[in-house]
Amino acid sequence: MGGYGDVQMIDEKGLRMDGRKPSECRPIEIETGVVPVADGSARVRWGLNDVIAAVYGPMEAHPRKIQRQDRAVLDVRYNMAPFSTTDRIRPGFNRRSREISKVTAEALESVVLLELYPRSKIRVEIEVLCAEAGTRCAGITAASAALAHAGIPMTDLVVSVASGKVNGVVVCDLNKEEDNYGEADLPMGILPNSGELVFLQMDGDLSQEDFKIAWDYNMEAASHIHEIMARALKGGDA
Amino acid sequence: MSIPLVPELLRKHLADLADSDMRIDGRGRFESRDISLEVGILPRAEGSARVQMGNTIVLAGVKFQLMTPYPDRPNQGGLMCSAEVRPVAGRSWEPGPPSPQSIELGRVVDRGIRESGCIDVDELCIIPGERAWQVILDVFAVSDDGNLFDAFALAGIAALRSAIVPAERFEIGEDYPLPVSKTPTMCSYHRVGGRYVLDASKKEELGGDERIHITLGDDGHVHSLQKGLKGIFTTAEFEEIMEHAIERCAELRDLVNNAIEK
Amino acid sequence: MRGRRVAGPIDMTRGRGAGGPHGSRESVLVAPGDDLGDSKELEPGHGVIVVDGRLKAVKQGRMMKDGKNVGIQPRRTAYVPRPSDLVIGFVEGMTNNIWFIDIGAPFNAILPLSLGPSKASFGGLRSVLDVGDAILCRIQEVEENHSSVATMKGMGLRKLKTGSVESVDPHLLGRVIGSKGANLSELKEKTDTRIIVADNARVWIDGDVAGIISARAELGAMMMKAKISEYGGDV
Repeated sequence: MGGYGDVQMIDEKGLRMDGRKPSECRPIEIETGVVPVADGSARVRWGLNDVIAAVYGPMEAHPRKIQRQDRAVLDVRYNMAPFSTTDRIRPGFNRRSREISKVTAEALESVVLLELYPRSKIRVEIEVLCAEAGTRCAGITAASAALAHAGIPMTDLVVSVASGKVNGVVVCDLNKEEDNYGEADLPMGILPNSGELVFLQMDGDLSQEDFKIAWDYNMEAASHIHEIMARALKGGDA
Repeated sequence: MSIPLVPELLRKHLADLADSDMRIDGRGRFESRDISLEVGILPRAEGSARVQMGNTIVLAGVKFQLMTPYPDRPNQGGLMCSAEVRPVAGRSWEPGPPSPQSIELGRVVDRGIRESGCIDVDELCIIPGERAWQVILDVFAVSDDGNLFDAFALAGIAALRSAIVPAERFEIGEDYPLPVSKTPTMCSYHRVGGRYVLDASKKEELGGDERIHITLGDDGHVHSLQKGLKGIFTTAEFEEIMEHAIERCAELRDLVNNAIEK
Repeated sequence: MRGRRVAGPIDMTRGRGAGGPHGSRESVLVAPGDDLGDSKELEPGHGVIVVDGRLKAVKQGRMMKDGKNVGIQPRRTAYVPRPSDLVIGFVEGMTNNIWFIDIGAPFNAILPLSLGPSKASFGGLRSVLDVGDAILCRIQEVEENHSSVATMKGMGLRKLKTGSVESVDPHLLGRVIGSKGANLSELKEKTDTRIIVADNARVWIDGDVAGIISARAELGAMMMKAKISEYGGDV
């Protein structure tokens, strides 16, 4: 969080630079079947974010040493394509991607019924094609839609969204500028049917009161995103 | 890349089909799958393209960086082409450092574009010996259902043709289209059931043998060739596919021109 | 990237809710986490679990009610072997006395020498069944951790030496076969081919090249039609 106090990101009407109200999300579209050769796939377009997730498996886990006798291994990779940001990203090892892959795997492991497929592996590949703040949230959301699309049994979907604070105002779903110059960022992974959490991070500076507001914004946004995801999965008219 | 199991029945079936001059998906020997090509689809890239051929889908993005020219070539910028097939694209593409298969893909595409001279590296120089543009083309596979080579080459040249040099962002003048003087295109032929076919699908690649990639420039000049995988071919066989490639590469060039004009 | 199912952004001020399986036409299609009713009145079937006295969907698909039983016909599913299943497998490897068989399940099966073709002998497995060969076999047993044992002892179980093997969606096998095998007989007759539909969603088609081609095309069309009829033009 940069904390540049001189960057004005909330106008006198209380609206944000892109015209949103503090509690409002950027437009979201979810689409499934975008990687035809995968067992399941989804694409989430969220503001300028464009994230795809593909699922392969359950299949035999190789090498043998990674096999678990009692459950499947969930192998999650989050990656940003070289052309997904303003400055090109060099392909290869990256500490940020590793951490996001790990927390994403742990969030999804909380809902996938892994015990049904002992000794096998389920691969989840998240690729950010275009990034505009909140790619980890878009990634988790896309991955859970792709898992459902692949017919992998799971107790609930996972939707993820971040709220934060800019110019002293708590706002939902930070865009790029707000993320760069804001004071705080609180991404959460929420089970929409139960309101429980499987993913939580935060950095920045939030008062207890602001923290509560950000939390509630995320919960509200989650049910909105869930509605869009459920429609994509059920093939209802868009 | 893990080596998938090659079912004997598939090889045999492909050979039977070849005997009757047929292909597994009903196409003719030198018939390609329908190709859709779009440019300008990645908002963060200075040039971009998406190619879909059947269930094969690839993206290409062009980025620019400032570089210091190499001391032995003070008047030249740089062109870099990199292909990475990430495990998202298919079951057999595994995580880890780039596989030899994925490196071969990148290098063959790179040679076709570089050797055609379509980008004049002298024009990329801003201040001799001090500053020059480095053009970086990244091709990315979304879904691999065979023939990534042609898809990458097509997306790559289309992305370059659509690229805008971001001079304003680097505070060195106004944005301008990247000068691309030629449109090299690639055609790949796979030996399936004993004879060469154009644009092999994944199943044909799995049950097939060696492959030959031909990149031709605007005037039909040959810019890159690559024979891949185990196999033996004759001069007569090569002449046949080269003759076809001359025609096909020109068609692909028209496809790129049309997409850019739109 | 160009999938067909696009859900657009909606007005956030409108009524929320998971769009659970109650009421409208859309209601029969469910997604993981959807509440499907009270466990005192209903029994969980395929793709349904009970959590705190409520039935809950764990798969995406169509909800099917049969009396008190509530199950989900999934849109996609992985093949999980059960004893006595007839399956088409590919030989992946072998030791002196065991073949490893890919049966299209999350874990491959073993075929011990004693259950393989009788002419095979210890240390000479490759001469009978080599890597890449296709076999028609049955699942003998499935262990608790899902490893399974295949057998080739039984009527008609053999190496498949000709023809072609196609894959279909496991949950659409019923459509291929049809009521009392009607669809399958029609397909065989129409294309003059021999067809075996295995439980692991692999279909063996044998005949002359033209017959195989048309049977494969028919099969593809049947799959497409089945999906469209279930999900309204969306595959």
